[in-house]
This record gives sequence, structure tokens and C-alpha cells, in this order.
Amino acid sequence: MWLDEVDEILKGYLPYYILVFLPIFMLSSVSASHELPVYRMQHYDLHGVPFGSRSAVVNLEARTISTWSSSRHCVVTRLTDLTLETFRNICAKAGALIIELPKNLSNFSGEEGQQLLTLEHKMYEQDTSIPIYFSQYDSTIDDIIKELATQSDSHNTKSSAAEALFSSISANGYQIVISAVGSTAVTEAKIATMHGHLAGYKPDGKIPTIAIVTHYDSFGVAPELSFGADANGSGIIIMLELIRLFSGLYSDPKTRGKYNIVFILAGGGKINFQGSKKWLEDQLDSSEGSLIQEAAFVLCLDTLAASDTIYMHVSKPPKEGSPASVFYRNLKLVGEKYSSVAVEGVHKKINLAEDILAWEHERYSIRRLSAFTLSTIKSHKDFWRSTILDTKDNLNVDRLVRNAKILVDVLGKFVYEVPDNGAFGGGWDVNPEYIKSWLNHLASQPRSPQLLVAKDNLILNTLLDDFNKYLTEVKVTYNVPEKRDPDYQFYGSTRGSLTIYSVKPAVFDLFLTLAITLYLVTVYFAITYIPNVYSVCCMLMKNQKMKSK
Amino acid sequence: MTLYHFGNCVALVYVPYYLAYKQSGLSEYGAFWKCVQAGLIYMITQLAKMTILATFFPDNMSDLGTDFIGEFLKYTVDIADLVGLYLVLSSIPGKGHCKVLTAGIGWATAEVILSRVLLLWVGARGAEFDWVYLQKCLESNVLLVQHIASATLVWLWSRHDLNKNLKTIVTTLLILCCYKPLLLEYFVQILKLNAWLDLLVKGTFTLVYGLSTLTIYAGVAQVMGIF
Repeated sequence: MWLDEVDEILKGYLPYYILVFLPIFMLSSVSASHELPVYRMQHYDLHGVPFGSRSAVVNLEARTISTWSSSRHCVVTRLTDLTLETFRNICAKAGALIIELPKNLSNFSGEEGQQLLTLEHKMYEQDTSIPIYFSQYDSTIDDIIKELATQSDSHNTKSSAAEALFSSISANGYQIVISAVGSTAVTEAKIATMHGHLAGYKPDGKIPTIAIVTHYDSFGVAPELSFGADANGSGIIIMLELIRLFSGLYSDPKTRGKYNIVFILAGGGKINFQGSKKWLEDQLDSSEGSLIQEAAFVLCLDTLAASDTIYMHVSKPPKEGSPASVFYRNLKLVGEKYSSVAVEGVHKKINLAEDILAWEHERYSIRRLSAFTLSTIKSHKDFWRSTILDTKDNLNVDRLVRNAKILVDVLGKFVYEVPDNGAFGGGWDVNPEYIKSWLNHLASQPRSPQLLVAKDNLILNTLLDDFNKYLTEVKVTYNVPEKRDPDYQFYGSTRGSLTIYSVKPAVFDLFLTLAITLYLVTVYFAITYIPNVYSVCCMLMKNQKMKSK
Repeated sequence: MTLYHFGNCVALVYVPYYLAYKQSGLSEYGAFWKCVQAGLIYMITQLAKMTILATFFPDNMSDLGTDFIGEFLKYTVDIADLVGLYLVLSSIPGKGHCKVLTAGIGWATAEVILSRVLLLWVGARGAEFDWVYLQKCLESNVLLVQHIASATLVWLWSRHDLNKNLKTIVTTLLILCCYKPLLLEYFVQILKLNAWLDLLVKGTFTLVYGLSTLTIYAGVAQVMGIF
């Protein structure tokens, strides 16, 4: 029988071929059906406390939010379908989570926006063991979510067992694979802080100093998606505008102010103001005297385009007559000129029991400097300071320009002690074009702290160029975490490539075998039938021949 | 389970070839090495074809005029396949159907091994499921019939005792054999058929083609007295 011969062939030839070809074939890669970039959730430690998703590699079957059941499933869902409860449940029991962001993040306002912000915040507040990724809106992912959802619907409304069986055979499955390099700890994560100053002039006595501080990093649930247009892009932009305008006045001896102004662009503002902390330690503990020791006040800028109220956050109310209270009075005066703007003072004591400070000025207040933060946000707990919703599209540019104008005027009033109209106006004033171009530059790239620790970062370099252009004695200092027990620890692989394979259930393969066997049997009979066909053909030709004869 | 799927596909491709080889009685003639010989000639022919395509054809087909002309010229090179088949037939001793079947099956087997094994191993074994691999397998089965028919026609064409009318028909069918993929491609494009219907059209066409070839062969064989 031919079965024996097959056996013979297997014995005779097969092992030999396998030895030659198997290694070659093993190396050949498999082509993917669909690939898209995905962004991993935050993964970092702060003061030894772990935050975010702790793993990165995914190779699981895709399921929807309503059909997943075990840790062998990767839940794929839209952000808007996710609730805090289901999120916690998934984190505890599922294998992985892929969240598709809405098409347009700027459509969320009011209640819905607040819900998203709360959810986002709760996601990275605790550490989770499963990998969590975010993807931008993508039509393929959307289709897959829809398809999986309809499958689950039909599962529930199945009328007969035969139907259920058929659908379980014909159903499309999807395998989600993200091969990340691994979430290894980043060593040598240096956080840069740059500072420079404008030297003031006073014919007699000591020249007091004003320090203006802002941090340049942003934060959100996924590092690669945190563009931070408002927090703290607005702070950087207003500081750059102050630098530009004041350096113009300070360059002319006639219009030089009576204060030294130190500008500090600090890193790590979202991880407990590490940049400011280190910078201040360096300055106060250095043997040579530092300008900051004679500071009249330290002004911190944080999130200045979120609302129409400008809050002045202090940890101790300034004494009457002190520079800070004069500044506050000036701020009120200038604010009154704009009908839509309100100015409020907020007093919050530093909570020394807590590891995380609320505002950047607290870093300076702890070291007994007179410091305050200007922000359009009332509470330090507001989630708007760290969200992926904070994009360029969600920022009100007019408000930012107006607040920049107010701050420039207030500072001008304070430095030059002009009674009424500010020192700025006419051609030498806040330039909306300048603000817009900086906004485009800053908000076009994610600025999460772990993305900025690499050498020669583009954003940091452009900021440093700007500092060098206008300021004197520009210096960059680096905050290097201690080897043992570091303040902060970042982890790699902030992004990955998601591959979706469409797969069939195992039962499908069995059915396929059955079908193929049937087909082959048919072929077998067809071949055995060929002699009959042949004789029919012969008859046909014979008849024709007879006719032609 | 993916290796299992690969096994499914391999069975679908190769079992019909094996059945054809067994049932046609070639194994009784010990035609195995002749089939291998046919395969070798197939390889040489493909090499020659590729050399011609690489040497004389521009990268950009539209340089030759419209798309259709470019494609037409490309398929003209397939006449080399017929020359190759002729070489195979002339190098195989034997009579009638044995000779033709050896050439056809050897040729088709060489093609299926060279063009499908790697595709299936890389594709059907992967995690991704795609119907295209099953379609390719079925298409290979259709190609087996096609190649046997082509071999028969080449053999008929090479005979001197063929009457004029039949010779014209055989020549027409041979030319049709060359341009068949082109014609079917355009047919499918115009009707916008999906892959399965495309396969069905190919299968039907090849079946008709094979049957007409068989009829002609039957007539000639009767005249010559071989069965």
C-alpha cells in the first residue's frame, strides 16, 4: 500500500532534510498583520515608593472589558469605557491592559474631563504588576474592539448549541504581542537645572536679588504622552518672556534695575522638585556667597493658563512692608486693570510629615527664604498639573498671553518702583508670536522627567541657548541620585511596538483537517476516475472520426 | 497549534501530487529520478527566465508603454517554460502518457517545492492566521493539472504526424497557456472578484483547458495506437 511507502520516505529522507533546513527556518521571522506604536504607563520610584506599571512584555490573547476572565487575557479597551472599578479589577486579575485614547483629547470638558483626570491620576497613584499601555486613536484597534464586542454580544444571545459551536469555530481571535526590551532601571539619570542672572545696579549699598523659578518637566499617566502645555509649559514660556524683556532693559545702564534677577529653570519639578532641592543645597552650602542668600523673594511659576484667577500660594503670610507683600499689592493693582482677572492669596502651611511637597516655593521656604508660587490653580491636589489631557489644543493661548503681560507688568512695577503704568508698553512688550512659537516647540514633544535625562536633549539645549543669549553666568548643574537609596529611580522602555496577529481557535484547525481530508478523498476518487474520462474522450473522438469519414 | 496548521497546509499541497504520482502508475515505471531530472530542468529554466527579466526589462514597467503592454511582454518570457518542458520531454525516454505525465508531474513538483515550501513555513506556521495560505495551497493543486496539460500539449506540438487542424488548435492552446495568468488577472480585476472566486475561476478555466487537452490527446493516441 502507498501508506508503507510514505513511511519509507519518512524514514529514508526526512531526518536528513530536517537537519539541514530546520535551523534556517527557525530563524525566519513571521510577518505581522498590524503594528502600531504604544506608550507605556509611568514606571518610577520616588523616595523608595514604587509607582506605575512594573512590567513591559505582553504576549496574550486580546479580550474586551466584558469578556476577559483570566490572566491569560490582555484587555483592550477605550479610555472612555474604563471606570476606576474595572481598572482595579483588571490590574488585579488580567494579564495586561491596552487603552486606546479618544480621537481628540480636547473634547473633554466639565464633568467628563474631571472624571478622566481622576481616573488617570488613580492609575499611576499605585503600582500595578501588569503591563499597561496607551495607544493613540487607531482605526484598526477600534475595529478590533468593535469586533470583539459584537462577538461577546452574540455569545450571550446564542439560541442553539449548534450556533454556539459554529461561532466558536469561525470566530476571529487576536493575539497581542509587545516585545519590549524590558523595563530595566535607568542608571545615571541626571536631572539638569540651569540658572543665569541679570546683574542690577545701585549706586549705594548692597543689591538685593529676586529669584524666579520654574520647572520644565511635565507629567502624565504615560511619559511619552505628557506634553504639559500648561503644566508647566506656561511657566517656562512666561519665564522666557520675562528674561527677554528684562534683559533688554538691563543691557542699557540707564534702565538697569535695582535688583539682581536670578532665573532658575529647574528639572524634576514633578518628582518632588528634585532640581530645586539640589540647586538650593548647592547654592546655600557652597563656600562662596551666592546671590540667592540676599534674595528679596523667590517667585515660582506654575501652570499659569488654567483659569482666570491668579493665586499667590504662600506657606507663611508675608509681613507688611516686606518685598513679597509689596509684590502681592502690585499684583492686585495690575490685576484690577483686567475685568476678567481675579487675584487671590492662598495660605497653606508646609506639611513636614509628608514626603511630597505641594508647591515649588516650599523647597525655598523650608530653607528660610521668602518664597511664593504664582499659579492659576487653587489647590496643589488639582490633577490638571499632571495629565495627558494637557496638550497644546487644550491651552487657551490668549489667557497665557494675558497672564504673561500681567506678570511682566507686576515685576516691572516692583523692580523700577514706577507708580502707575508699568515699565513696559509700546514696542517693548509681551509678544504673542514669540509665546506661540515657544508653545509649539515645548508642547510638541513629551517632557516627562525620565525622557529628559539623556544627554543633549533637544528641548533642554534650546532652552539653554535662550539662557545663554540673554543672561550672564549661565550654569547647568546636575542632580545625580545616590547609588544607595536614591531619591528617584526611572525605568526604561517608555514606548513599545504593538503587534496584533489574527489567530483562529484550536478547534478551527481540527475542522480544517477534517475538510482537507474530505477534499483529498475527493481528489483521490477524481484521479481514479480519470481513466473513465479518458475513455469518454476516446469515444468522442471516435464518433467524430466516423462522422468525418 | 500553528505547526499543526502548517501540517494541514502541507497535506493540502503535497498529497494530491503524491496521489497523482501513485495513481498514474509512474511509480511502477520507476520514474522517480526522471521526475527529479524534470525538476532540475525546471530550475534551470527559471534561472534563465529570471536572467532575461533582469537583463532586458526595466525596473519600471510603465517605461514600456501602458501597464498592459509591460505585463504582456513579461508573460511572453513564459514561453521559456514551454521550451523547458520541451527539453524535459526530449530528454525522457518512454512512450505516450508515461512520458507526458513524468514531465508534467516532475515539473509541477519542482515548482511547488521551490515556490511554496518557504512561503508556508514562514507564513502558515506563524501566529497570524490568514486564508491566503490555504488559497495558495489549492492554487497549487490547480497548477498540477495545468502543468500536466501543458506538457501534453508540448508533446503533441512536437509530433510530426499531427494533422494541420489539430496543430493550429494545439498552438493556440499553448499560447493561451502562456497568457492565461494575464487574462485571468484582468478578468478578476474587471469583475472585482474576491480571492475565493478568483480561485474558482482559475480552477474552472484549468479544468476546461485540461479536458480539451485530454480530448485532443485521446484522438491522437487512438490514431497512433498507444493507450
